[in-house]
Amino acid sequence: MATVEIRHLVKQYPGAAKPTIPDANLTIEDRSFVVLVGPSGCGKSTLLRMIAGLEAISGGDLLIDGQRINDLSPKDRDIAMVFQNYALYPHMSVYENMAFGLKLRKFPKAEIDQRVRAAADILGMNELLERKPKAMSGGQRQRVAIGRAIVREPKVFLFDEPLSNLDAKLRVQMRVEIKRLHQRLKATMVYVTHDQVEAMTMGDKIVVMKAGIIQQVDSPMSLYHNPANLFVAGFIGSPSMNFSRGQLVSENGALRFTNQTFNFQLPPNQADSLKSQVGKEVIFGFRPESMYDTRFPSGKTLTDPQRITIDVTEPIGSETFVYFTLDGQTGCMRVPSDIRYQPDEVITVGFDTGRLYFFDPQTELRLG
Amino acid sequence: MQRLHLQKLVFYAVLLLMTAVYIGPFIYQFFISISHSKDVFGSPGNLIQPPNWTLQNYANVWVDLPFKQWLVNSVFITVVQTITNVFFSALAGFVFARLDFPGRRFIFGLLLSSLTVPGIILLVPKFIFMNDLRLVNTYTGLIIPNLVTITNIFLMKQFFETIPKDLEEAALIDGCSYFRIFWQIFLPVSTPALAAVAIYTFQGSWNEFLWPVIISITSDHFTLPVGVGFLKNQFQSDWPLLMAGTLLITLPTLCIFLVFQRYFVQGIAASGGKE
Amino acid sequence: MAQPATRQREITTIAWLFLGFPLLLISIFVFFPIAFSFLISFFDWNLVTNQRRFVGVDNYTKLLGDALFWKSARNTVLYTIGVVPLQTFLALFLAFVMNQKIRGRGFFRLAFYVPAITSSVVTSTLFIALFSKQGLINQMTGLENDWLTNPRTAMLTIMANNIWTTSGYFMVSFLAGLQSIPDSLYEAARIDGASAWQQFWKITVPMVRPVTYFVLVLGLIGCFQVFDQIFIMSAGGPVNSTTTMSYYVYINGFKYFKLGYAAAAAMVLAVVIFSANQLQNKYFKPEVD
Repeated sequence: MATVEIRHLVKQYPGAAKPTIPDANLTIEDRSFVVLVGPSGCGKSTLLRMIAGLEAISGGDLLIDGQRINDLSPKDRDIAMVFQNYALYPHMSVYENMAFGLKLRKFPKAEIDQRVRAAADILGMNELLERKPKAMSGGQRQRVAIGRAIVREPKVFLFDEPLSNLDAKLRVQMRVEIKRLHQRLKATMVYVTHDQVEAMTMGDKIVVMKAGIIQQVDSPMSLYHNPANLFVAGFIGSPSMNFSRGQLVSENGALRFTNQTFNFQLPPNQADSLKSQVGKEVIFGFRPESMYDTRFPSGKTLTDPQRITIDVTEPIGSETFVYFTLDGQTGCMRVPSDIRYQPDEVITVGFDTGRLYFFDPQTELRLG
Repeated sequence: MQRLHLQKLVFYAVLLLMTAVYIGPFIYQFFISISHSKDVFGSPGNLIQPPNWTLQNYANVWVDLPFKQWLVNSVFITVVQTITNVFFSALAGFVFARLDFPGRRFIFGLLLSSLTVPGIILLVPKFIFMNDLRLVNTYTGLIIPNLVTITNIFLMKQFFETIPKDLEEAALIDGCSYFRIFWQIFLPVSTPALAAVAIYTFQGSWNEFLWPVIISITSDHFTLPVGVGFLKNQFQSDWPLLMAGTLLITLPTLCIFLVFQRYFVQGIAASGGKE
Repeated sequence: MAQPATRQREITTIAWLFLGFPLLLISIFVFFPIAFSFLISFFDWNLVTNQRRFVGVDNYTKLLGDALFWKSARNTVLYTIGVVPLQTFLALFLAFVMNQKIRGRGFFRLAFYVPAITSSVVTSTLFIALFSKQGLINQMTGLENDWLTNPRTAMLTIMANNIWTTSGYFMVSFLAGLQSIPDSLYEAARIDGASAWQQFWKITVPMVRPVTYFVLVLGLIGCFQVFDQIFIMSAGGPVNSTTTMSYYVYINGFKYFKLGYAAAAAMVLAVVIFSANQLQNKYFKPEVD
């Protein structure tokens, strides 16, 4: 059980113009499940591999339980890692795969046996212990890889996109299993994924990264409702948030957002915090689920009605995604599946006044 | 349908003709080797008549010639060279595939470019070394120049590069040193490549002619090919004996090929596919 | 991959530990001889009389003045030109045949491959028997040619031997190349109405071009250095009609023990091979994708 502290961590590849990770700071609490998420190349895997000891640390400190481990080799860090491609030893049986790390650490035979069988129990693999990896499905292999980590009883579990190679159905199932495992083992787990749905569903805490920089660290729901900047707002949530560029103007003492498509009054509390932006250009963001057709009751306080033109509708069964033209691009709105629209139909909508987001176009930071 | 039939017929006719061209000579060789009469070039019809058959030629090869000595020499040289080649090319291949250290690119480039140098220019200097070290006409002299070959190193490197990086990292986290990674992870999963290297080296050593013919002077240091090459001049008239001897040389490589056919083809594919 | 400093030390240590002995051997038997060979070629280096005298470019001028050297060069080039295209085409053809759905594929592959794994001494001896005056070839064709003692046919016989042995070997290289061509390409061609022959020329040949290049390079290097077959089948004769450059190097170096002279001849051969490779690179090298 362990706390991982990352202090001013730097990763600079020799010969690269810019550091891959310029200055990362993060505390991973004991027993927490932390997900590092971001698009490919954002440095999330590099950060994980630095914790594992597979990548050299160019600067800063890495601590587990207060002890600086920068220069320890992976085997001495008391971590275990689950890889995307399972990385099972093909010439060893499931049992031998799991026992290998313990054997190298000179554990007594009886204890190795007891730990391997306990892990197999947890993962429901008792019948598979003598199998070779080749004779197993992708899901089973990933289970063995997790088992190999469990038997070690490490301070920290590291997962590097462990579900990416599985098909969609199995991925959902394994997601639940890993989460259950976390609840059961109460160990510190760090999990890397590029899939924001995986991040949202699994993490106690999510670390959103972009271009080597940590954008925001928060719980899934506050990340969703209070994104710190334009990138996080767009990255978290599916379908993603709509954005529209416009201006904030003051009219009769009230603050309004206006552009070609929209023109509405801001609620008083938000208007207060945005007063300083009057006359400036801003980016307005709204989620597909926080805009409502004014013909139907929504139970929310809505902004002034706005007119949009329907482009394409996508019924997915439980609900329908409605696409409309927005500043020459496509915006998305989620509606209950019993509402039907025709192409080119013009409808009137309002935004939930509690869910309006404004960003600075230059700094991309959230304004209010 | 008619046309398809004809096409198939032509195809199989060509196939059979090619087969005859490629293994016919060996069948001819076999019948000469069991011929009673020394006059084997009469009519080929005489060769295939059972009353004219005998195994005496094989016995003669064994008894009358220094064949046993040559066989021992060939086996000894081939076995030593095969084992060392497998071992050293695996070691070096692992380094080039997986261990990044200062100077790796330079050394590898040197090996790569030396492959383009024709072997013929190495002959004279190698002989002078051997002569200076008093190794001419010795087993050491026969063996050491081919303890490791660059092409085998390449073969192993290419194979090791196909082993996922993850496997190595998982082993590091499990607590392996690099030596253990090589020994307990890489070697066990590389049997196809190791087998290919072993088979190639075996075949190459067994059939090698130029170097042994230069470095071995007296009959007791001849290998089988060199010995038979000399026999050819001495026993030019005794074709059955000569054919029995040459057939015996062919047997080991043929057996190895039959048993390990799979690795053979994989190996050529690996060395020929990428260049 | 950048590594923590302690691990980098471990890696470097292990690398040199693993590499040390193989590299030493290769240095002694490959790297150093290359340089040494060049040096020797400027000496009159005789092992019998044990004299080493610097003679400058004498060996080279003597070489270029020797009619036999020129003959051996001509023989070598003719031999290569005769063998390489045929062995390459035959190998591709065999591979194409083997790649069809045929029964007993394993047997045929073995049949075509046996000459390749057989010792050159054996195949050469076998060819002497086949091509002797009363041998099988004459019996079957009704000719009365003594192939290997006739200066007009001796080289042709040796060429036939090499084509016979190497085509099966290179067949396997081509086979691997052919198997990497997706079936859908042939299916598309069939839908477009291409015959089997057109499929061979328009799809197979261009798709295996990288393998072809590889085979051409290896074939050329091998042919330029042909030795075993010459040694066994003709010993350079009759009337030097089969003396190739490598055989010329051999007799001068290891029969007359004129090592400096032999080294010079080997250097010239190496230059010839190198130039031929350059030509090949210029005209045949497939573009790297």
